[in-house]
Amino acid sequence: MGLTIEKAESGSKIRISVQGEVDLYTSPELRKVIMKSVPSAAAGVEVELAGVGYMDSSGVATLVEGFKSARENSKSFVLVSPSQSVMKVLELARLDSVFEIDRAP
Amino acid sequence: MADDFRLEVRSDPRFLRCIRSLVRGWVEVCEVSSDATDEIVLAIDEACSNAIRHSYGGRCDRFVELTLRADDEWIEVRLCDQGEPCPPEHHERRVLEPPDPERLVPGGLGVQLIHRAFDDVTFCPGATAGNCVILRRRRNR
Repeated sequence: MGLTIEKAESGSKIRISVQGEVDLYTSPELRKVIMKSVPSAAAGVEVELAGVGYMDSSGVATLVEGFKSARENSKSFVLVSPSQSVMKVLELARLDSVFEIDRAP
Repeated sequence: MADDFRLEVRSDPRFLRCIRSLVRGWVEVCEVSSDATDEIVLAIDEACSNAIRHSYGGRCDRFVELTLRADDEWIEVRLCDQGEPCPPEHHERRVLEPPDPERLVPGGLGVQLIHRAFDDVTFCPGATAGNCVILRRRRNR
């Protein structure tokens, strides 16, 4: 399984739904979508990660870039329903307390 | 300790998922717990990614050599490349603290994930050129 990224506008937010594996090969594609979405979203970006079966440090770095860009643009940046694999790598990186995480299904 | 796998893989990030799949299968054969399996797979993936990014500067036409072995006490992974020598600061272990959001920097996490998964992490120059990293983890950790 590679990576599938879907982008949808929902009110003043852009929701990016990610499915598959985020690694050195696939993270540049996710980065492109996130970095394009943050400035164009009126209120902010939600990144839905329930379908991500694997994420490495390049995926985490991509989320960090999105988070930083959102702060600079005064937008929200929320991780929605991160999978167990994503939560584990965020916890290992001690970033689980930095990101705004919405665990609702 | 005898080698279980000796594998040469082109330094193309498309093949990282193949490496993960093989490593996961091998670790499962070694009967390591599932939590530890995830950590080990992630760490080896990070080591391969580092070789591709830093030693080979993103070139996809070189090779990384992966050796997997285990005995009753240890599992051991050796990863070698023929690329540019990596500066020591790329290997340094840091204590990971919850970062200050104002000073958050993307990157630099891979090596910390490698140290987290393995008890001994040794970076050394390759036999003829490039770099080697030897990762050892106690089975009963």
